Amino acid sequence: MGEFKVHRVRFFDYMPTAIRAMAFNSRTERLALARADGALEIFNFADNYFQEKVIPGQDGRAVEALCWVGQRLFSAGLNGEITEYDLENLRPRYTVEAYGGPIWTISSNSQGTLLAVGCEDGTVKMFEILEERIQFQRNLDRQKGRIISLSWHPSGTLIAAGMMDMIRIFDAETGRATHRLLVERGVGASKSKEVVVWSIVFLSDHTIVSGDSAGKVQIWDGVTGTLVRTQLVTKWDVLALSVSNDESSLVAGTSEGTVVQFQFISSTVGQQDKEWVRTRTFKNHSHDVRALAHTETAVVSGGMDTQLVVRPLLDKVEKNTQESALRKMTLPHRSLVCCAKKAGLLLFQFPDHLELWRLGESDGHGKPGDSLPVKRKPEKLIQLKRKGEDHICCSALSPCGGWLAYSTVTSFRLYRLQNNNISITKVSKLPKDLRSAHQLCFSPDSSKLFASSSHSSVIVVALNQPECKYLHTLKPKSGESEQPVHLLFASEDGKWLATANTDCEIHVYNLDKLKLHCTVPVYSSCPTAIAIHPTTSNLVAVHADQQIFEFSLVQKEYTEWSRKLQKQGLHSLWLERDTPITHVAFNPQNPAHIILHDTFMFCIIDQSLPLPEAKTPFYNQMTLRSLPEPQRIIHSHAFKICKNFQHLMCVSLLEDHSLVVVERPLLNIMSQLPAPVRQKKFAT
Amino acid sequence: MAKKQRGKSASSSKTADIKQQTDHFSLMLESSDDEAPEEVTFEDSKAEALRSMKQALDTARREKEQLKEKRRKRQELFQEQKKRKLLPADVLEEIDSAPSQTQKQCQEDAEEEEQEAEEDEQRKKKRKRSGKLAHARNLKGNYTVQTAKERESASFQQQAAEDFLQSRMYGPGSCRTTSNELLSLQNKTGRNKSAAVQFVKKDWACNEKAKAEKLKKRWVHKQQIPSC
Repeated sequence: MGEFKVHRVRFFDYMPTAIRAMAFNSRTERLALARADGALEIFNFADNYFQEKVIPGQDGRAVEALCWVGQRLFSAGLNGEITEYDLENLRPRYTVEAYGGPIWTISSNSQGTLLAVGCEDGTVKMFEILEERIQFQRNLDRQKGRIISLSWHPSGTLIAAGMMDMIRIFDAETGRATHRLLVERGVGASKSKEVVVWSIVFLSDHTIVSGDSAGKVQIWDGVTGTLVRTQLVTKWDVLALSVSNDESSLVAGTSEGTVVQFQFISSTVGQQDKEWVRTRTFKNHSHDVRALAHTETAVVSGGMDTQLVVRPLLDKVEKNTQESALRKMTLPHRSLVCCAKKAGLLLFQFPDHLELWRLGESDGHGKPGDSLPVKRKPEKLIQLKRKGEDHICCSALSPCGGWLAYSTVTSFRLYRLQNNNISITKVSKLPKDLRSAHQLCFSPDSSKLFASSSHSSVIVVALNQPECKYLHTLKPKSGESEQPVHLLFASEDGKWLATANTDCEIHVYNLDKLKLHCTVPVYSSCPTAIAIHPTTSNLVAVHADQQIFEFSLVQKEYTEWSRKLQKQGLHSLWLERDTPITHVAFNPQNPAHIILHDTFMFCIIDQSLPLPEAKTPFYNQMTLRSLPEPQRIIHSHAFKICKNFQHLMCVSLLEDHSLVVVERPLLNIMSQLPAPVRQKKFAT
Repeated sequence: MAKKQRGKSASSSKTADIKQQTDHFSLMLESSDDEAPEEVTFEDSKAEALRSMKQALDTARREKEQLKEKRRKRQELFQEQKKRKLLPADVLEEIDSAPSQTQKQCQEDAEEEEQEAEEDEQRKKKRKRSGKLAHARNLKGNYTVQTAKERESASFQQQAAEDFLQSRMYGPGSCRTTSNELLSLQNKTGRNKSAAVQFVKKDWACNEKAKAEKLKKRWVHKQQIPSC
């Protein structure tokens, strides 16, 4: 098979940011997630929970709430602005000042015509949603405290607002506050602190459910303005509430990390009198749960521990199937590490800076499993801080280590590295078309840079020292694709360029003729990694539902091996993996090898070996090692999986045939999280 | 209270009053039983009472008047400031369109900036420098540089809101512990018990590590003593 010297890299201090708000669009099955640094992520729940799009954050854009209006996404934050996002170009479309101080919450009515925001100065501002923009309509009655949470009644006539110590019900047409519901403060020491109504939900039968900082979930009658029921759920705060579409189930997220479910059922079977009863408790987080979404079949929660957890409800899905499994999204579904194969350099992308490291060296030899002594330690060569407020969207390092490029939503920068990669000079004269890019890729001979821009087009730029010249813009068939390109790959021989966009289209361009060569037949799932084989020119594409396809670019059809794989089907254990493959690489010494990795394993597919049957044990590397040599050949199959390294961020093969494995152990992330609540547990 | 009432009434039974008053005085003003009580005539005490009342009324009235003055002055100041702040109506229209233009300007596109700056600049020249344009500077030639973000007060409010959130979640009374404790608990209740994370991680808990080192040295030393 092969012995590899492995550079085990654990000095990438990647720290994900806390989840602050989320919103689920049930029609398109997309979840929008806002993080504390202002970054926005879109997950496609229909496509194996793949993280389709990432809009990088901005300094000072402290997003507090998100809202979908049809296909449009709005956010509001503590900087007092409402932002609409352009999901095709992955950037904010425009921002509108609300002039009410920091905005705490945003919500639209069910008809999609009005947008209400709750501000720090106590006003609820109404904005009309027009075709291309939003326009301020009016203020509702100004209140004395800040408006922390809002909820529209499904009919669009009433709004419930959660403030400090009370809940106000407004008539949306006249703007008058009709009812005032007083929320009790906590007991003991918290009696002196005001109670904050963190979240509120207005149901269609005029019931209001509120979650507050004293740990109570209270159910009110919105018509009379009286308290129906109080349930003390936690000693800490109830930070988030979410109700399902049919209003039969409600979930509350707490500071302890638990998510409590309430269901609208009758206490005795067959009786008609239904009430809200506390049913389940999920403890999937170690830190505060700040955002919740209730979909048809699952409860989605996220918070300060930065993980997105999807918990399917067992009364809506079948037990013990792939559908009912708990899903946790920890690391991003795209690569933040770029490896320069020839130079042995690594580029780490952080939201606010880039780090360039040189890998260490080791002379020793050993048996498989040994740790070799390090002769020269890895060293950080350059730390490059970004200019401006926007966070870094994408970055790339040329294979020879001579060029470095990064892009934000508003700017693009290219640098030349010299003197054995110690000195760095900025390339100042950039072509006008190169404004910002969603993905960047250098050609293997470091002579060209490919940058993906709007409408799935790719800009080709020639790199001649010391400047760069615009060459061409590669476009797919006009008018077809609007979605952004999220994957780019340039083949080793410099002849082909493959691009994949979030519309599941893969286009391949011929770089000699600078035009479109072919389009791979569209598969229903979004591609998560693509690569072109250096010698056979076969395009290997791995999709979010874990399917693998191999397409021959010369013959413009699927290869024999790919057809065989599709006919036999992939092994069930392969299909059940819940993290996508983010990188595909090839082995120059053995053309039949394909190296893939996801978060928990890396795999070498040997195309010369038989494919595994459904019944054969899939993870058989350990058993094979114990068998004698002749027996191994009988039992081995094409998928060789190694799980020694966990929480992989990148696996790449260098020119000297050594493997680079960039790991980020979860413990390192957890140890840097903010303070959790103190819970006294028995026997500790 | 009783004294004043008696003083005011100026009744016929003066003598009886005086006697009672002196008795009262003697009861209240005496510090020791030996001393003779002070003699205060009725007129004096009446005058005293009237004077103190008048003084109290006077001070109250004066205070009210002072407050009124202060309030009036402040109101005038605000009105003046408001007048100063308000720019002429046509210029306000300009301001409405200007922020949307400045937001679109990219820092790299110097040419675009130039063009727009020239357009605005002619209008801007007529305006006087007030609070909103306090960040504008006139350079040589036909340039006016204006900071795209003129909201320092807004960032103060944002900071205040963030502080509120921080204090509610992590401030006093929020019962928080450290992530080290959380990891220790997980370690204790987990299947494979290993060293506490603060000893495994290199840059954590330097003090604890130093103490542990010293303790280890002492223990080793103690072990060696009986042997030698």
